[in-house]
Amino acid sequence: MDSARSASGQPSQGLPRRWFNAWIVRRGPTRPPLTLRYRQIFILPTRFGWLLGALMFAMLMGSLNFNNNLGLLTTFIVAGLGSNSMLIAYRNLEGLRILRTGAAPVFAGQSALLLVSLAGNAGRPRPGLEVALDDNEQIVSIPANGVSEVQLPLPTHHRGWLQPGRCRVQTCQPVGLFRAWSWFWPERPILVWPRPATNPPPLPEGGGRREGQLDQPQADGDEFYSLRKWREGDPLHRVAWKASQRHDTLLARELRRPRSRHLALDLAQTPGQDLEQRIGVLTAWVLTAHQQQRAWTLRLGPETLGPGRDDAHLQRCLRALAEFQ
Amino acid sequence: MAHPAPRHLPFNAVAWTIAAFLIAALPHLAAMPPWLAGFIVGACAWRLVVARNRGSRPPALLRLLLTGMAIALIVLAFGGLWGRRTATALLCVMLAAKMMEMFSMRDLRLVASVSFFLIATQFLFSEKLIYLGYLVVGSLTATIALVRIQDIHGRPAGAAPVAQAAAVRNGAVLLLMAMPVALTLFVLFPRLAQPLWGLPDQVLDGRTGLSDDMSPGSISNLFLDDSPAFRVEFEGRPPPPDERYWRGPVLWNFDGSTWTSPFSGDAPRRRFVPEGEAARHYSIQLEPHERRWLFALDYPVRAPDNATVTVDHQLLNRHPITALTRYELVSNPDFVDMPTLPDGARSLALRLPDGRNPRTLELAAELRQRHPDDRELIAAVLRWFREEEFFYTLSAAPLGRHGADEFLFDLRSGYCEYYASAFAILMRAAGIPTRIVTGYQGGLWQGGSDYLLVRQSDAHAWTEVWLQGSGWTRVDPTAAVSPDRIEQGSGSVIERPGAVFNFDWLAQLRNRYDRIQHLWNRWVLGFDHDRQRDFLQRLGLPDLTPERIAVLMLLVLLIVTAPINYFLLRQARPARRTPAERAWHGMLGRLRRLNLAKHPAETPLEFAARVEAALPQQGAAFRSLAEMYCRIHYGDRAGHEAAFLAQARHFSPRKA
Repeated sequence: MDSARSASGQPSQGLPRRWFNAWIVRRGPTRPPLTLRYRQIFILPTRFGWLLGALMFAMLMGSLNFNNNLGLLTTFIVAGLGSNSMLIAYRNLEGLRILRTGAAPVFAGQSALLLVSLAGNAGRPRPGLEVALDDNEQIVSIPANGVSEVQLPLPTHHRGWLQPGRCRVQTCQPVGLFRAWSWFWPERPILVWPRPATNPPPLPEGGGRREGQLDQPQADGDEFYSLRKWREGDPLHRVAWKASQRHDTLLARELRRPRSRHLALDLAQTPGQDLEQRIGVLTAWVLTAHQQQRAWTLRLGPETLGPGRDDAHLQRCLRALAEFQ
Repeated sequence: MAHPAPRHLPFNAVAWTIAAFLIAALPHLAAMPPWLAGFIVGACAWRLVVARNRGSRPPALLRLLLTGMAIALIVLAFGGLWGRRTATALLCVMLAAKMMEMFSMRDLRLVASVSFFLIATQFLFSEKLIYLGYLVVGSLTATIALVRIQDIHGRPAGAAPVAQAAAVRNGAVLLLMAMPVALTLFVLFPRLAQPLWGLPDQVLDGRTGLSDDMSPGSISNLFLDDSPAFRVEFEGRPPPPDERYWRGPVLWNFDGSTWTSPFSGDAPRRRFVPEGEAARHYSIQLEPHERRWLFALDYPVRAPDNATVTVDHQLLNRHPITALTRYELVSNPDFVDMPTLPDGARSLALRLPDGRNPRTLELAAELRQRHPDDRELIAAVLRWFREEEFFYTLSAAPLGRHGADEFLFDLRSGYCEYYASAFAILMRAAGIPTRIVTGYQGGLWQGGSDYLLVRQSDAHAWTEVWLQGSGWTRVDPTAAVSPDRIEQGSGSVIERPGAVFNFDWLAQLRNRYDRIQHLWNRWVLGFDHDRQRDFLQRLGLPDLTPERIAVLMLLVLLIVTAPINYFLLRQARPARRTPAERAWHGMLGRLRRLNLAKHPAETPLEFAARVEAALPQQGAAFRSLAEMYCRIHYGDRAGHEAAFLAQARHFSPRKA
């Protein structure tokens, strides 16, 4: 997975961040499927939590100073609310199962939709879970013993395998004083196909045949190929009467089946210098060929795929194009 | 507009937030000038209408203008005097102004959480028992508001908001779960033995209670105030009624209309007062009155913590009394105050303003001629008060320039201040050093004789004359006129304006309520540093340092929160099976013994088809049972359950 780029677009992350991620990974499983336990759940006050904390401190100092017991009681009720809300935020995540993540391949430049399936395990509903990847955040509530899914859009820029970065699942329930969160990494990278060129040159029609690949004449075709001496068994309608007259011997038309020449799409044929541009053109060709339901072979350096014309072939080609170095 | 239009907040969340604010602000609003309160309520109403109509915030200029106006209103209302009332009014007005731009979740949360703060500030003004209800209702509303606000954000797009009843229940449960923590902290949080900082005097805006000067006519409204001033519990025998004089400020200076304390009145007492043989031990729970003085019987042996005894034997606390304060005292009634009178004190105690009360001065000279002995002269004056037509009444006329003359010769009716003032002037004119003592007199026993309740209406003023041989001696001229006032308390002599309501049962009810209030004061409000120490000592934890108390608090917190944690974090048990489900699974078990196990993915009817193929005889019966089970499970339960249960119990599959 070394070649995979992180979703945040920075191929190399700072050392502290790498250390931090490594520390998270050491604490417990971080790739789905996983169940969140206390070692993976972090909790801190939100900004509102800090504000209420400051307010509470002011109330505490004032009430203590004036020995105002009802004021103290109010302060301590707020403190009790705070400590319980910490617990409830934690409980909302504890035992949460992240079943799987996955995304269908997309072309570079499109947004991949990362699907995350979540389920509870303790038979309690889990309202207000925020699942976030970078800046994209989706809110989901899981009914008791149910499964919920969220789709996180993830912008893509380059072809290849995209490893989405750290995802976060967090909650501020019940009153937004504390944020409990946990990190996980999507289990597998997302395939990003090359961006097809917008105005590709026309499909290279001619070059499909090569030495050693000459089409063999076939008797059962219906396209004229050549004339040859009549042999016994040739049907009468194959006899080329006019030509026979000229040559004083019976000649028969030899026919072959019009073998639809498959397209040979080769990286070497694409115009331009820039590899990415050429791969873009090749991708556009592959897509056009598939759209026109024509068979094609794809030649990328030493590797040749096909010929073929079905979806599976298309997928293979696109994947090869995405992975080509 | 550069910034995106604010999202509309749901009406529900806005309404709950405003409700939380209004409930928290209610006592503050009641104490404000009505038009200021009107402004605040108006802002809330406006915000509600806007929330209902999904309107937007007013333009910035208008908001600024209104807020400025509101602050101007406060300056007008409170005259720039910076006190707690001003501060809370300002807070309320700022929150009301916030309503106008309360268009984001953050603003709502701010208002809802400051509601808690508003509730706490109210207790600086009063900690009466009824405010417990205010605390409960106020915090419940604020909590529900917070739950509602959280719901704005923490809900998937398009999902329905939490139902009203569910939000209320969630809020109530949150608050209830906060109680163990709150109560543990309340009992065990280390209290300060001494305040960290004192209130500057000008922060206080005064309220009912004695004042530090006396001009006859000024405290008459105090006599109609039934609110408690303090409560006393005696150890041992309480003093007889005529010795229940609770000493307050001592007044020496008279300018013709007003008696005031001398400049040196706050000087600490240098003399040692022994406990004596008749020492009285008692403790007082003083309602906050925002002055520094504490009340005591004559003469306090030593001052409580944080207080001093002045030269006039008055107790002065270091800081104004802003919360219910409990202190313990020992008084020695037999102490002789100033056996010899220094010259400075003598001249101060004889000084009279010139050109006032000529008739009184004349009378004094006449009396002096007839009675050379001070004691005889005093007795004669008191006799005169008693025998002549002097009346005790609260509806007395205000006095003019020659107040004592008017009172002694013309009006002859008034209350304690009139008598004390006139008597002191007469004495001084006769050459007897005299000073006026204000404070409270009497008190009513509550709950048998648990404690003595002294009300504001027991406020009193009396005199002390200096006599050779006995020092300063208390003389109460009011007692001469109206002995009942002294023997039975102020209630006996006052014809209240609202006498219609003065029924016995009402008085009883009032007394009963005061008893509860007393217990509340004693065990909840009066739970201070000392009480906490006593409480821990009674639990067998002697003399803990604040650090140790803090550790103990954490330990107890862990213990009391354990059940909550368990309740919250336990794994839910699988839902209990219905009888029909139990019967169905019983049949499945019996079939499994015949190697006919239902696959998890199979529906009951699919499984029934398989059973029918395997067991030709009983298959049909099982099939009908499976159909019934489906109907019970997915359709109406009522009609089929009994029949299904009976048949299923008798279903015993057998291999053919």
